[in-house]
Amino acid sequence: MTLVQVKNVTKQYANGEETITPLNEVNLEVHQGDFLSLMGASGSGKSTLLNMIAGIDEVTSGEILVEGTDITKLSRGKLADWRASHVGYIFQTHNLIPVLTAYENVEMPLLLLKMSAAERRKRVEIALEAVNLTDRATHYPRQMSGGQEQRVGIARAIVASPTLVVADEPTGNLDDETTEQILELLQRVNNELGMTLLMVTHDIEASEIAKRQIRLERGKLTERQAGSAKSTVTAA
Amino acid sequence: MKTLPWEYGVRNLFRRPTRTALTLVGLTTVILLIFVVVAFIRGLEASLAASGDEDVVLVYALSSGADIENSSIPARTPALLAASLDGIQRRFDVQHISPEVYLGTRITVAGTDKKGLGLVRGVTTAAPLVRSKMQIVEGEWPGPGEVLAGKLAHSKLGCREEALSVGSTVTFDGREWRISGRFTAAGSAFESELWCPLQDMQTALKRQDLSLVAVKMAPGGSLADVEMFCSERLDLELKAVPEAQYYASLQQHYKPVRLLGWVVVWLIAGAGVFAGLNTMYGAVVGRVRELSTLQAMGFRRRAITMSLIQEAVLLSVGGSLIAALVAFLLVNGTAVRFTMGAFALRVDSLAVVIGCGTGLVLGLLGAVPPAMKAMRVTVVEGIKAV
Ligand SMILES: Nc1ncnc2c1ncn2[C@@H]1O[C@H](COP(=O)(O)OP(=O)(O)O)[C@@H](O)[C@H]1O
Ligand SMILES: [Mg+2]
Repeated sequence: MTLVQVKNVTKQYANGEETITPLNEVNLEVHQGDFLSLMGASGSGKSTLLNMIAGIDEVTSGEILVEGTDITKLSRGKLADWRASHVGYIFQTHNLIPVLTAYENVEMPLLLLKMSAAERRKRVEIALEAVNLTDRATHYPRQMSGGQEQRVGIARAIVASPTLVVADEPTGNLDDETTEQILELLQRVNNELGMTLLMVTHDIEASEIAKRQIRLERGKLTERQAGSAKSTVTAA
Repeated sequence: MKTLPWEYGVRNLFRRPTRTALTLVGLTTVILLIFVVVAFIRGLEASLAASGDEDVVLVYALSSGADIENSSIPARTPALLAASLDGIQRRFDVQHISPEVYLGTRITVAGTDKKGLGLVRGVTTAAPLVRSKMQIVEGEWPGPGEVLAGKLAHSKLGCREEALSVGSTVTFDGREWRISGRFTAAGSAFESELWCPLQDMQTALKRQDLSLVAVKMAPGGSLADVEMFCSERLDLELKAVPEAQYYASLQQHYKPVRLLGWVVVWLIAGAGVFAGLNTMYGAVVGRVRELSTLQAMGFRRRAITMSLIQEAVLLSVGGSLIAALVAFLLVNGTAVRFTMGAFALRVDSLAVVIGCGTGLVLGLLGAVPPAMKAMRVTVVEGIKAV
């Protein structure tokens, strides 16, 4: 099933006289259960594409359909509501809320949804369980290691069972060992929980764990076909 | 719209405990100052408003302007009034007419060598009939050589309350007077006066005339009758002014003071807004990333703004409550000396509304601009902000 359709999306920034076009008429299809990695040089526009799909950045032109809804047409408020129920965002730096405990941080996205307190509790517990941090539920971010913080960040991103989980260089700030843990965890999120993942990374090894590997170069996407040479991703 | 949890705002206040505490102290001080100024204005107004009785008419010298202290009228005026007017309140054949001598004079309180300017009223036993709010709370009506001290007379004289207790003495107009009792008068200006027997005072002052005559009108009686009397007896050179109007004109007199009071309230409140703004800017600037993360999650900007306002308002309401408590315990009832007497600061419901209302507005005004500034950062920029 096609979950996300990026159709002829262009992003331009006016930078004084010149215009930068990090994304030029880009097309991409993401299917239910996919795990995509998005690679590319620094400044190539990876974050920009991810943010547009996550509904926090605007396209210059083109459409982004998620489960049939063109999110580029939604008002700011509606888009916020849409994000609450459709997107889980894993940040490069965990971006946890310092005054809230691990449990409360994970609970935050659920406060945006219609849900009983009991249901909320169950979901938070399951999410913390999934990232193996049940024993840290009452800890504040400052009391945890970087890897633990990032795991709380992952629990927070998956707790609402979003349509799509996006991660922008989720291991960018972590050491090798922790990176491995986090990548494993992401793989489990995809395999065991069946969630659809889109991950930006500049680390080739990290990208290897994804089922599909996309490169962004000079405003265009190319997908590495399993066991074959690169080929341009075709329009949907 | 889904709002942020209440605890988020509360806990954010404890994020920088020192700054929060300092701001709380600042806001409390500002709000307390507002309480003091409003209590001052309200006390002054109340004292003047309570002093005027609707059915009492003051008769005093035409030439004395607004100031009764300068008034001199013939001693026979009360008798003439009693004989000529029908509308005067009477009970058991006693007409409610109070002849009085009223003046400001230097008074020495026994045990202190300081001389204070006090207000003395020479009265007969008719005075309490006309000034019906007057009530003796301690001791008794003054006999010869005695005075009755108003509840706030000590403030007017600038001495301790005990110095004017029953049995102590004061000196004025060249003789010693023993304090026979103390009285209240419903917060009116009389409370800062000393009342002594009219005859003793006239003797001490070597004067036969009166300052004024206060007349209590019967329900049917009208001011017009008294005015008629004054205009017919041109030889006496009298005028009649309702007591309420007399004190209302005094109130006019203090309009600039009140105006100044309100200006001070505004200035203090302005300073308070800056204190609030400073704190909230500080609180928001370091939190841009977090506020953008909340937006990325799906919280609307309005919900986040409301949480920031909640935070500031929580702080300012806390300040208001502390200030109100202090105002009630320490400010309320404090006596203030003033040219025309003394009055008590009054933390009444209006003072509470204005004090706490200002607190609330300080919170709102302090939070909205910083919140708006934070909301102008785009989510994409914000989630990476340092
Ligand atoms: N707000 C902006 N204004 C102007 N240029 C921007 C802005 N945001 C990003 N860019 C530019 O767009 C390009 C893509 O940025 P980004 O998506 O962050 O790259 P990546 O994530 O691949 O490193 C970069 O060249 C960057 O300088
Ligand atoms: Mg990037």
